[in-house]
Amino acid sequence: MKKVRKISFTTAASVIVVSGTLIVASMAQAKPPRSETQIAQERAALMTAVAKGDDLWHSAKLGNNGLACANCHPDGSASNVHTWPKFQTNLGKVGTLREMINWCIAVPMQGRILEYDSEEMIAMEAYATYTHRGVAIAPAKDEQHGAVPVKSGPGYPRH
Amino acid sequence: MKKFSRRQFLGMTTKAGAATMFAGIFAPSASSMLGLGGVAEAATKKIKPFNFAVLTDAHLYDIADHKFDHILEKAVADVNSIKPRPDFVLYAGDLGQSGKKAELVKGKKILDKLKMPYKIIPGEHDYYLDMGKAWRKLFGDEHWSFNHNGVHFIGMNSILVPDFWTLKKLTPKERMHMMEELECHNCGAWGVGEKQLNWLARDVKRVSPDTPVVIMTHSPLWDYYPRWNFQTYDAPEIREILRKFDKVISIHGHVHQVVYNEINNMRSCGLLSTSWPWPYPPVELEYPHIKQRRADPGDFEDGLGGHDIAVNADFDAIVHWREFSDLLPDNIKKGLKV
Repeated sequence: MKKVRKISFTTAASVIVVSGTLIVASMAQAKPPRSETQIAQERAALMTAVAKGDDLWHSAKLGNNGLACANCHPDGSASNVHTWPKFQTNLGKVGTLREMINWCIAVPMQGRILEYDSEEMIAMEAYATYTHRGVAIAPAKDEQHGAVPVKSGPGYPRH
Repeated sequence: MKKFSRRQFLGMTTKAGAATMFAGIFAPSASSMLGLGGVAEAATKKIKPFNFAVLTDAHLYDIADHKFDHILEKAVADVNSIKPRPDFVLYAGDLGQSGKKAELVKGKKILDKLKMPYKIIPGEHDYYLDMGKAWRKLFGDEHWSFNHNGVHFIGMNSILVPDFWTLKKLTPKERMHMMEELECHNCGAWGVGEKQLNWLARDVKRVSPDTPVVIMTHSPLWDYYPRWNFQTYDAPEIREILRKFDKVISIHGHVHQVVYNEINNMRSCGLLSTSWPWPYPPVELEYPHIKQRRADPGDFEDGLGGHDIAVNADFDAIVHWREFSDLLPDNIKKGLKV
């Protein structure tokens, strides 16, 4: 490759300018390429989390009044994952998607909130985010965003 | 069937009493009499102006003192306060959430507080636990028609799906649970089915084309967002059967939002729920200015409400979305002429 200039600024990451394009690369990429099996396994791990999140999202068990997240947010719609963190009136501060998920569990669903780094919470975030794949990040953008359109089925590989 | 002129009809109902004649047509709570005429009456070109109210999608749970009970109570009180008083009320389905008899009984008890008669159709949430058995016992026929002041009203069950449960050996509860999910991973598209299409064709056969028609279904009679069953698979056939009429107004629940569309002679209005507002699906709308603003999730009544529809002598209907809080844009605040 021509005109490649490498600037090391930490041991963890480097910034490479390739023909005027700025690329942030982690040290992980300096390792030998992952095998296809490895990539497939990692992908499957994410999809397992998404599927778990999907189930929780549609479960009335998180709340105490019969409601599930999906009552108001089918396909994860209107969770507006691309706009967080932002000032959210209901939270009274700048908050994250996970805090909003907990607010919804506690207030409209009258349930018990999840630990922020629990497997359940991460699964919920994985599901909501996956349904918005490809949507441009837009902090605090005032819009209600629909999920990525899906014709039928769960919208992701599910076993 | 013997045909009655309007005069004969009214004379007869005065003698016989509306309750006896129309038991099963209107709910037993019917306290005022409707000018229900036969087919001949519907051919009258001029309409006597009137207004009617519409409520839908209460999604009541079998949980005592649930917040949705109170919202439906509030909507019923709101309808009772409308002036001039609506001649009757239509209810567009999903009175219950999980098809339980207790939910429907609770819903009926609240709806019976309406000061005018009401007419109702089922939604998928009312239906798939016992395939509509409890619903039919409480409310009667799943499809019906009647004439009022020169307008022909039709109600149909639009949530019938092909059997997806027998082969999978699902229990009624499992079947209901799948149908409760809007995304409907396993259920497929729903519609009114052949039997009701035949009924509709027969029903409107002798209704004159210049008769104004209002049709109520749970789901939209156009392809809005099929993934969420914001559709009715045999809507094209329904629209074809009703194509001979000058104007058809279609009102539908299920979408829990203000939405509008026109196809040929049909003008479709989506209705507000009394449970929660659905987000707008990721599709372009033909009438993007006829939408409601985003609801505040902290206000449990935001984006919810009922409807008052006023009909004038020329069948210009003004649809008023009566939202509990102000989420309507200025262009439809005072109603939408359809």
